Amino acid sequence: MKIIVCIKQVPSTNQVKLDPETKTIIRDGRQSVINPFDTYAIEEAVQLKEKLGGKVTALSMGIPATQRILREAMSQGVDEALLLSDRAFAGADTLATAYTLALGARHIGDFDLIVCGRMATDGDTAQIGPELAEDLGVPHVTNVSEILEASDKELLCRKVTDYGTQVVRMKLPGVITVAKDINMPRMASIRGVRESLEAPFTMLGAADTGADPARIGLKGSPTQVVRTFTPEKTVECQFLQGDAKEAAGALCRLLKEEHLTGEEA
Amino acid sequence: MANALIRPMSGEYEEYLRDESRSVGKAESISFPRTTEEVSSILKEMNEKKIPVTVQGSRTGLAAAAVPYEGHAMNLSRMDKVLSCRQDDQTGTFYFTLQPGVLLSELRKMISGKRFQTADWTEEAKAAYTAFCRAPEQFFTPDPTETSASLGGMVNCNASGARSFHYGSVRGYINALKVVLMDGETLTLRRGEQFAQGRKGTLRTDTGKEISFTLPSYQMPHTKNASGYYAEDDMDLIDLFIGSDGTLGVTCEIEIRLLPLPQIIWGVTAFFDQEEKALRYVRLIRGEQLEGCDRFDIHPVSAEFFNGDALEILRREKRENSAFAQIHDIPQQYETAIYVELHGDTEEEMTNRLLELGKAIQQAGGKEEDTWVARSQTDLDRLMFFRHAIPECVNMLIDQRKKKNKEITKLGTDMAVPDAALEETMAMYNTMLKEKGLQSAIWGHVGNNHLHVNILPNDSEEYRKGKELYNDWAAKITAKGGAVSAEHGVGKLKAGFLRVMYGEEHIGEMRQLKKAFDPQNLLNRGNLFAPEEENK
Repeated sequence: MKIIVCIKQVPSTNQVKLDPETKTIIRDGRQSVINPFDTYAIEEAVQLKEKLGGKVTALSMGIPATQRILREAMSQGVDEALLLSDRAFAGADTLATAYTLALGARHIGDFDLIVCGRMATDGDTAQIGPELAEDLGVPHVTNVSEILEASDKELLCRKVTDYGTQVVRMKLPGVITVAKDINMPRMASIRGVRESLEAPFTMLGAADTGADPARIGLKGSPTQVVRTFTPEKTVECQFLQGDAKEAAGALCRLLKEEHLTGEEA
Repeated sequence: MANALIRPMSGEYEEYLRDESRSVGKAESISFPRTTEEVSSILKEMNEKKIPVTVQGSRTGLAAAAVPYEGHAMNLSRMDKVLSCRQDDQTGTFYFTLQPGVLLSELRKMISGKRFQTADWTEEAKAAYTAFCRAPEQFFTPDPTETSASLGGMVNCNASGARSFHYGSVRGYINALKVVLMDGETLTLRRGEQFAQGRKGTLRTDTGKEISFTLPSYQMPHTKNASGYYAEDDMDLIDLFIGSDGTLGVTCEIEIRLLPLPQIIWGVTAFFDQEEKALRYVRLIRGEQLEGCDRFDIHPVSAEFFNGDALEILRREKRENSAFAQIHDIPQQYETAIYVELHGDTEEEMTNRLLELGKAIQQAGGKEEDTWVARSQTDLDRLMFFRHAIPECVNMLIDQRKKKNKEITKLGTDMAVPDAALEETMAMYNTMLKEKGLQSAIWGHVGNNHLHVNILPNDSEEYRKGKELYNDWAAKITAKGGAVSAEHGVGKLKAGFLRVMYGEEHIGEMRQLKKAFDPQNLLNRGNLFAPEEENK
């Protein structure tokens, strides 16, 4: 089975601080990491390979430094990696990103399955998987929580919906996005890390993939981020100090002050 | 008025009669002071009335130091403010002054999130804090497993943790202390300012009262150590108070020193099919030259050990208890685990050290593939959960057994030996546990040859056997040049071991020293000195 797993580099913390003037993320010296949802995608792809044989290729679009997280994926059982990196790709929204990733998938070629994480923790759109499938003209199933049967012809999987679960059979090639309870991602071994340092890695730019300049990067993005901001805290939390009696007294006073005791004022 | 602060003991305060050691005591009154002045006024009153005082932080200690057996319990959990910040002009180092009730977990959050309450600080402190907020991330290195420990407690038992292998115990990160003595006088101690002359010392209280004393004449073991008073020729006298089990005075202000946080932190758990290979690996990563092996230059900040019984307990809990389901499967052939943490600043340097670790594993007889490498916070958290899960599982087992038999309590050792004695000490533990037929689990800070042997008795007979073993080990560890308490402190539970370690004469010297600061022997009575010796 030939599997592609899509991964994204995201900031390592969810407490992102924004520069008040430029509205860009302040990197606090901590490193970027593999999007946590994608770690489940990597594990699922590697497990399928271990069961059915074949090869797993990691695919990402990003700055050259993204090589680091692709090597990390290779330390966890991914065989090779392709990074799409070009200034012309910058500023892409989900549509342009999906188009670019589709170019990457076509470049890898002849795939049976593409596995994506459910969404990225920095954008939270969950659009890439489905858009990628549409671009490639293959079926997709989102939010997969369990693969019940797998062959290189089709996949039987359980998907989580808002109302319960569905069991879906999908012809391959196709795309799935996986939920986080699908598996427990393995940790790399030292051997895995050592082997990942020499594993095959390819970096391609826009021209190498034959990209249509009008469909990539900022130019190819019908949507744009106008403003990024940290939501203002509207709820204040107050801790009452003292022993049980003192705290209870303070609580009563506060409830009365706020007219929350049900008594007439 | 001090009186208003002193409350009679009642059912409401019952939890203040026990601590994490699971010992239960009694007291007639309790107080919750908020300031140094309040501590001073309470102590003064108790001193005049000759009422013994037991001081408490967050009661997470394992040696019952905070459990009162009589008199007054003084709880410092409400002295939880950070008072000040300063930056050294020359070194750029940041220092914070805290009250003793600040919890380690809270301190860490404040440091990493740069979220200190600075409203009451001086302008100078605020300026230093602004510099702190702009500076690269900092951290406080001591890392006892129990992060709800209070800073006061950590100072008084000279706490350590996994990272102490590289960074040392809390002692090295305490720069100043304000201590209130039993008579209400305060002492201000700053590192580098007050020294002993040989073993003689003199300190002046803030009102100018002079206290002269003689330090015990013993040589401290050349190991990690939290057993009894720190005593060395010409020592810095602040060190006398760190690790003194609260017996000399009440720590009311603590100035801590921070270090810049390394850019990269990785963790590696290596599994071996034989304990012997794991211990060989420990020696290699310490940089020791072993026959037929390379000499390594890896410098891990911690080296933690888990024996086969500990791993087996974890395997069982993972099967039976959903709280531990997130732990990765531990294959049956994995018999011993060693966790190592690496701190560094560049990816390249860290990768090289990781590959060196791999080499060391192979030369010790292990396999590179039998490792878990954590290079992201998520994976580090996983390894941390694994490490913490073992003592937690053991505590749960003990609690279950205690329900059937009240007499049973946790029997966990805290002894360290010099480097040369690592293998023979492990062999001693294994053989004697087997001879007695006792269930146990061993884990701990193997880098410092400091292991926690936990005995899991099923009944009173086994409990008695376990206690005997424990006493026996105290003597044997002392004979090897080791320490009976390496990081938990002596408290009340290990006072007997301290006598084994130092002998009657030195215990007598320690008692004389305490007398200089607390002539009526009222403060934290029972800590360091067993009750039967109190009236000597």
